[in-house]
Amino acid sequence: MSRAELISQRAAGGRLIGLLLVAAPVFLVVALILWPVALAVFDTLTVEGPSGPRFSLDAYRFFFSDEFSLRNLWMTIQVATICTVLLLLLCLPIALYLRFSASRLTGYIQALALFPLFVPSILLAYALIRTLGPNGSVDILLNAVGLPKLPSPYLTPWGPIIGLVWDNLPLTLLIVLAGLSNVSRASIDAARDAGANRFQVLAYIILPRIRGTLLVAASFVILGLFSAFTLPYLLGPAVPEMMGPFMRRTIIEVDDPIQARTQAVVTFLICAIFALFYVRSVARTRREQST
Amino acid sequence: MNRRQFFRSTIAAAALMAMPAAAMADTSRIDVYITGDSNIINFWNNIIKPAYEKANPEYTLNVVSARNNIAPIVERTLAALGTDADPQVDIFDENDPNLPKGAIEKGLWVDFSKAGLANYDKLNPVTLETSFGLPYRGTQVVLAYDTTKLSPENAPKTWAELVAWMKANPGQFTHNRPDTGGSGGNFVRRAIHEANGRDPSLFRIDNYVAGESDAMLAKGFELLKEIAPYTYGPGSYTGDNMQSIQLLAQGVVTMVPVWSDMALDAVNKGVLPETTGFTQLTDLAFAGGFADMTVPTNAGNLEATMKLADLVLSPEVQTKVVTEIGAFPAISWDHLPKDLAAKYAAMQPASIPTFPGGPWVSAISDGWFRTVAPHVTR
Repeated sequence: MSRAELISQRAAGGRLIGLLLVAAPVFLVVALILWPVALAVFDTLTVEGPSGPRFSLDAYRFFFSDEFSLRNLWMTIQVATICTVLLLLLCLPIALYLRFSASRLTGYIQALALFPLFVPSILLAYALIRTLGPNGSVDILLNAVGLPKLPSPYLTPWGPIIGLVWDNLPLTLLIVLAGLSNVSRASIDAARDAGANRFQVLAYIILPRIRGTLLVAASFVILGLFSAFTLPYLLGPAVPEMMGPFMRRTIIEVDDPIQARTQAVVTFLICAIFALFYVRSVARTRREQST
Repeated sequence: MNRRQFFRSTIAAAALMAMPAAAMADTSRIDVYITGDSNIINFWNNIIKPAYEKANPEYTLNVVSARNNIAPIVERTLAALGTDADPQVDIFDENDPNLPKGAIEKGLWVDFSKAGLANYDKLNPVTLETSFGLPYRGTQVVLAYDTTKLSPENAPKTWAELVAWMKANPGQFTHNRPDTGGSGGNFVRRAIHEANGRDPSLFRIDNYVAGESDAMLAKGFELLKEIAPYTYGPGSYTGDNMQSIQLLAQGVVTMVPVWSDMALDAVNKGVLPETTGFTQLTDLAFAGGFADMTVPTNAGNLEATMKLADLVLSPEVQTKVVTEIGAFPAISWDHLPKDLAAKYAAMQPASIPTFPGGPWVSAISDGWFRTVAPHVTR
């Protein structure tokens, strides 16, 4: 056997092992995610006729003509948008500080900002009721200094918004921080030397470099917000419901699996748009790196 | 000890520990299957087990948690009926003897009315649904209120009085959404009873008819829409049973519907203050229910198990049912200490209406969310 043959054989063996290694996760994704999703989509697109299932858009027609369902979807979109904007506005300054400050305080601030990562959302929900809820600690403090009570966000859409922003802070911050590490100090110093002020540095040097990262952070956060359950369930109003609690109630309480699946497919399609942003952004980064 | 020796001895120790489970049923062991949560398991382990083993030192109680997976164990017991096999089950703490269908006819369950239990006559008749189940702890939805804001003599006693009180005190009442727990769920069901002549017999597990039944429910929803503007928020319905208790504890509202055992437990733990009062509607009570023990006739230690069932109904253990798990006793309050009976006098059920599940749950959840919940929003 020649040397070349031996190498090619070894490469073929390597390919086989490689394929075997990815086979397990691919199988899991297909069996546990793609296949059930396909079944769910199929169920929502068919009705049981006398001669087996036949194609029908009835489930979607109901969803998109049902004011109650649409109101829940709209509420979810609104909450997700508000949360994402708030998260980016909140995380960018913290990330900039952590990236460019030389202060010894940064370690503590980073630890504080990542703290929500370790708090289960059910604990957070009850803690928020006790602090921001009616007659909670914030009200008691305000009362102590002679100020009127706050209108409590508890059981209004602002309840889940506050909870979800707190809950998603660490993830967003970590992504934005990772993006900022691509901005070299040298380029900022160069801009400063050329007379750029702080705002110009942010607008013309930093933001263009991390635009992709912000998009990725937003996509990630939105995907999580659409599937949020615990915080909207415990802190939100009875109506409109966010899609997470709405889907749960539709399948468990109302016992209407087809509508629950329709709600899931609609939610999934909206999330898919943001997933597409993310995938495109990753692909672009790969291309840039390979060239 | 080298590593191999250590490994061997560990295996041996593990095998030893696994042995009792693998061994055949012990003739002196009584197997108790618990459906309830950890508070019920603790109650059996810490209260009933020591009391029973002290009185019957030749037996030991083996308390097993079956959680929500009791059906296969019942099936196993039924399969062993008429054979020599020991089902290794002596008693279920909470089980519906009507399931599986036909089990009673096949003679699977002991008929307690004929079993000659010394404490059987002490049972409160309202707790008894079947003689094949032995009730021992109950819970029911009651109204909990802050006695510093509402004196007990003014506490509402009928639905009409409750509505009048709500209208006079807007924002002082709330309940949780019916999908998030039974205290709000049974409040909604009480309104449905109210709108249908306060006749619970109209609602049965097998008589839901789409359209017709929905019209009956809609009448109840109309009553709830009428009071919605006077609820906390208005229209801010809490997210579970506990949140209602918390709002009452924080002094935000004056009255909420609660599960009696949860609320008594909250008072015992100091979550709710001692100044919390309880009241039950006397024109028709809120729904609730009792946990029924069942004993299979083919239990390995039938005689000893009947002694156990009798002990659970004894005034001593029934007193602990109230003080330890905050549940209702199944025996009449006359047999319990007078001070305890006086303390919970307002909660004592004169009747315990039930509301069926099945299709009714879906219709109530969907109907309430589509009509009552959006009626007023903050």
